[in-house]
Amino acid sequence: MERGYWIKSKPVYNALVWHEKATAHLVLAQNQGGLAVLKLFQQMQPQQPVTVIYAQHDTDYAKTLKKVVPDGLDVVSSEQELLVSLKNIMPSMRMGLRVYVAGSEGFIWSVAEVLKTFGVEEADIMKELTDTLARTIYCVHCKAITHNITTNIGKCSGCARMLFVRDHFSRHLGAYMGLMIDAESPGELPEIEEIYP
Amino acid sequence: MALNFKKETFREDYTYSNSDAAIKRFPFPFPEDQYMYSVNIEPHTKGKQGSVCEFTFDIDEHYVAECIDKKITLEQDPGRYQALPHMMDAQWDFVELTMGALAQDYPEHFTLQKQGLIWTWENKPLGIKDTFTFGDTSTLAAEPFDYIGRQLQGDFVLLDHRDETLYADAGIVTSQADWSLAFNVGMSWREWHGPVPRATELGVMDRALKYLLNLQIGSPVRRLNWTMTVNPRLDTSPENYPHWGSDRNTVNAENIGDLVHLRVELQTLFRLPRSNAIVFSIRCYLINLKDIAIYPCWAKRLHRVQKTMHPDLIEYKGMTKFHPMMVDWLAKFDDGETLAIGTQPE
Repeated sequence: MERGYWIKSKPVYNALVWHEKATAHLVLAQNQGGLAVLKLFQQMQPQQPVTVIYAQHDTDYAKTLKKVVPDGLDVVSSEQELLVSLKNIMPSMRMGLRVYVAGSEGFIWSVAEVLKTFGVEEADIMKELTDTLARTIYCVHCKAITHNITTNIGKCSGCARMLFVRDHFSRHLGAYMGLMIDAESPGELPEIEEIYP
Repeated sequence: MALNFKKETFREDYTYSNSDAAIKRFPFPFPEDQYMYSVNIEPHTKGKQGSVCEFTFDIDEHYVAECIDKKITLEQDPGRYQALPHMMDAQWDFVELTMGALAQDYPEHFTLQKQGLIWTWENKPLGIKDTFTFGDTSTLAAEPFDYIGRQLQGDFVLLDHRDETLYADAGIVTSQADWSLAFNVGMSWREWHGPVPRATELGVMDRALKYLLNLQIGSPVRRLNWTMTVNPRLDTSPENYPHWGSDRNTVNAENIGDLVHLRVELQTLFRLPRSNAIVFSIRCYLINLKDIAIYPCWAKRLHRVQKTMHPDLIEYKGMTKFHPMMVDWLAKFDDGETLAIGTQPE
C-alpha cells in the first residue's frame, strides 16, 4: 500500500485536556498514565468536582498526585481494583459527567467496556495512550483474545496459530484483528519484529 | 414460472455450475473498460423480466443449495449470526419485508397468510411451514432475523441509524468476501469500511453514507460490487481463511478458466419502517472465467478492466497470485474492438 493509506478503524489517542462544559469530571489512570493526570492538573483546574482513580504499578505517581489533586483521589493497586471502583462509583454519577482515561490501550478499552454498560459512549471518553503500544489481538479464526502483543506477528493464545496483527480495530471487542499469516504457504513466516514496544 | 433448484455444492467437491440461462442473466458489473470505486448507487426499481433485479429479492436455481451451504456454515460457526439486543424491532421489520416480498414475487414457492398478528409462513422449496405471532419472539424457534435469514440467499446486515452514522448492529453472514461479522459487529460506517484502499481518498464512503442516511421507506437502492474467488466457494470468510487461502496456489494456466470465478455482489438497501434501521443485503453471484468467455464482449471487457486494474485493488481483492495469469488468459479473446458502454452479454 502506498503512503497515506491507513485503516480508519484504528483509534487515534490525544493528550488529555479538560472539558469546560461539564457537571463533573472523572479521571481514570494506570501506571504511567499518572503523568498524563499530572499534566491535566498543570492546566486550569476545573470549577466542577473532580474524581481521580489511579492504579499504581511499577511507576508510581501516587505521591505527587496526592499533593496535586485537591480531593477525590482514590489510589488502588491494580487495573482490576480500578474497574471495581469504577463500577461502584458510576451509579452515583449524573448527566454531564466527563470521563478521561490514560494508560495502555488494553486499559483504555477495559474502562470503555465498563462505561458502556452505564450508557457512556466510547466517542465521549477522552483517551491518552501511555505506558506501551502493546496490542490486544482478536483471533478471527478461533475468537480467542491475546493480550500484550508487541510484535508484527503474534501467537494466538487459543489456537497457537501465528497471527498477523492488522491495523483494523473493533471497539466492541477492544482488540485488533489477528489473521493467520501463513495460511497460503504453511510454515513460511516473515521476520518477527517488535513494532509495538 | 417455477424454478428448478439444482443439487450442488460450494465446498469440498465444488459441483456448483451455472445453467445457460443463469449465465445469460449474470449481473456483469463492468459497463466500461476501466474500473475504479464510485458511488454507483441507483434506485432498486423493477428490472427486466428474468433479470436479477426483476424482484425485490432474487431467488434463482441455486436457492436450495445455497441455503444448505449456509446451514453448514452456521452450524460450524454460530458467530456468523450476531444481533445486538436493541435490534429486535429491526429483526421483525426484516421478517415483514422479506416474507412479504417472497410471497408476492414467488407465489408458487412461498406463501404468507396473516390473520391479525398470527402469521403462517410456508417455504415449499425448503419444506418449512410455521405459524407464529408477529412481534412475539417466543413463538419462533430462533430469533426472527436468524429464522428468515437462513431461508434467503446471500448475506444481510442490519444497520442502526444514530449519531448521524450507521452501525452494523446485526448480521447473518455466510458468503462474505473476506470480512468478519463477529469482528465488525457494532462498528460505525467509517470503522467498518476502514480497510478499503483508495475509497476514502476518493470521498466515496462519505458520499455513500450521506446518501444512505437519507434513504426513504419504500425507495430501496442498489449497487454492484465485485471480487475474484478461486473455486465457487461462498464461505470465503477470514474465519476460514486457513481452509481456503491456499486454494490460490492451485491456479495454473490450464485450470484457470474453471477455477477462477468472478464474484459479484448485488447489494440492496432498504429503510425499515418501525426501527428506522437499514437492511443491507449482499447477494453473491459466482461465474467462472470459461462461462464469462461464452459472451465475447464480456471476455473483452473483463480483459481490459483487469489489465488496467490499480495495484492496490489487486492486492486488496486477493488477486495478486493469479492476476497476471488471468490477464494472459483473457487476452486471447480481446481483438481490440471498441465496446459500447453497458453490461449486456450480447
